[in-house]
Amino acid sequence: MRILLELSEKELNKLSVDELTRLFMDNINEQNLQLINGIECLVEEDFDTFKKSLNYVIKTTTEVQIKKTFENKIFKSKLMFSKADRLKVFGKINDIKNIGEFMANRLLLYRAIFPDEEFKLHVLSILKSLRMISLNLSESVKLIGSDLRKSYDICEDVKEGRRKMRREEWKLLNRLYNYDMDYLSRTFLYLKEMIEDIMMLADHIKSFSEYIQFLATKYLIFD
Amino acid sequence: MTSLLVAILVIMAISLAFSIGANDETLSVLVGAGVLKFKIALIIGGIAIGLGMILFSGGFVAKTVGADILGEGIQYTTFMLLTVLISSIIWLVLGSFAGIPLSSTHSLIGSVVGVVIVYAIFQGGINLEIAFNWEKLSNVILSWIISPLSGLVITFIFFKLIVKLYLYRLKGLNQIEKSEKYFKWILFIVVIFAEIWVGANSGEALGILYGLLANSSLNIQQYFFFSIICGVAAFLGIYIAARYVIKNLASQMITSRPSEGIIIQLSSSVILMIATLFGLPISHSHVVVFCIIGLNLAQKKDIDYKSLIKMAIYWILTFPIAAILSALFYYGLAIIGLI
Repeated sequence: MRILLELSEKELNKLSVDELTRLFMDNINEQNLQLINGIECLVEEDFDTFKKSLNYVIKTTTEVQIKKTFENKIFKSKLMFSKADRLKVFGKINDIKNIGEFMANRLLLYRAIFPDEEFKLHVLSILKSLRMISLNLSESVKLIGSDLRKSYDICEDVKEGRRKMRREEWKLLNRLYNYDMDYLSRTFLYLKEMIEDIMMLADHIKSFSEYIQFLATKYLIFD
Repeated sequence: MTSLLVAILVIMAISLAFSIGANDETLSVLVGAGVLKFKIALIIGGIAIGLGMILFSGGFVAKTVGADILGEGIQYTTFMLLTVLISSIIWLVLGSFAGIPLSSTHSLIGSVVGVVIVYAIFQGGINLEIAFNWEKLSNVILSWIISPLSGLVITFIFFKLIVKLYLYRLKGLNQIEKSEKYFKWILFIVVIFAEIWVGANSGEALGILYGLLANSSLNIQQYFFFSIICGVAAFLGIYIAARYVIKNLASQMITSRPSEGIIIQLSSSVILMIATLFGLPISHSHVVVFCIIGLNLAQKKDIDYKSLIKMAIYWILTFPIAAILSALFYYGLAIIGLI
């Protein structure tokens, strides 16, 4: 499990608003990938690693100091017109953390056994797509400061990835509803909510990418 | 009686200069961009507009309004000037209450035309063909059409050039912010440049004083003295009264980019400069509106054509309505034996 080095308060204060945003994105992305990794371990029935990964997402607070430093800096900064937009970007990154934490807490409530191998493969496929769009979003956010055009293009990949996830979601739910199981059972509810939570995170990532594209059209001059 | 009227006219001219400053919104783009502190912007902008008025009081637009548009052998009388001022003020006030944006320049010239026609026919016994310097007058009216259209075209071209040469190369938000910081200071210079020409082209107040100079109601020293007072009044107009409008508009411009402000202000001020040097009184607000349209067209943004047509109708009607108002007012004064 890769853990990002914690920077001291002094070191954080030396960073610019853009650098803090990128660092924050790295931290949250790392936690997000841990969450995805944890769910994959759940699928493979490696419950110890599953619990360890999700507890990492819930308990880690490495990003709190970055958030405090950013909030102190942004209002005092000499940025002319992009303060509000940068603050919003930061807020959206923070939302990924909140959604991840919510998901992790929910997933730890119960230890579910997956119905069959086919179902596990579909879940792993949707998690692979989620990992891809998370990485793409992270790259896109980190390019806002230096190359908004490229950032815009990467967001198209994010949106396409999320469309693919949507198709996979319906396949998964279709399978789930057709199993011979009690629809009020904890396993059914757990798996259904797990799929919905994965899509909730994907939807947020997609909405975030659309916001980045909005920023690109706002600040860049397109022919 | 004549001295009293001259004194009233001088006071009204100074008040007009104050209102020119009070109605000027040029500084709002500077304040919105956060280039200078608010009060400092007002002081520097006020000094610029006052200087423009004073430095170009010796001729140019003041001379056109005060003498050149009249025909040979015709001069303003004090009552003519009084009528021109009162009727143009009435029309502007009516427009304000009705929420119609009107040009003070068009109002003033329209009032002059109305009064001179009545004077020529009923009092001076002057043929209308020689009552006006038709060449000058037609140049003035033509400049009202050419100046806003030129503003549109110049802004459009200017924006495309800046995009091609520079703005298109800016990739990331950091680069854009950094470049706009430099544009901030260029905007400062451009806005001060614009304020000077706004003051220089304001023929309303100085035109009245020039009319008094031309009919020997004022001597040259008095004329320049009162011109300086007009400059100071314009400064006070900005500092005391325009601050509220500037602050209000500036708060809507916080997210606008200095580069866009430069394009609009530079285009409009170049047109004002050319018009001033040719002695042509034009409407600064008309030019700025068309510059904004030019920028929107260049950026492929939507234009509110409905509002534009409505505004154009008021602009076209201002001149004849002001002329009719002033003619009726002057005729009324003549009938009751005041003149």
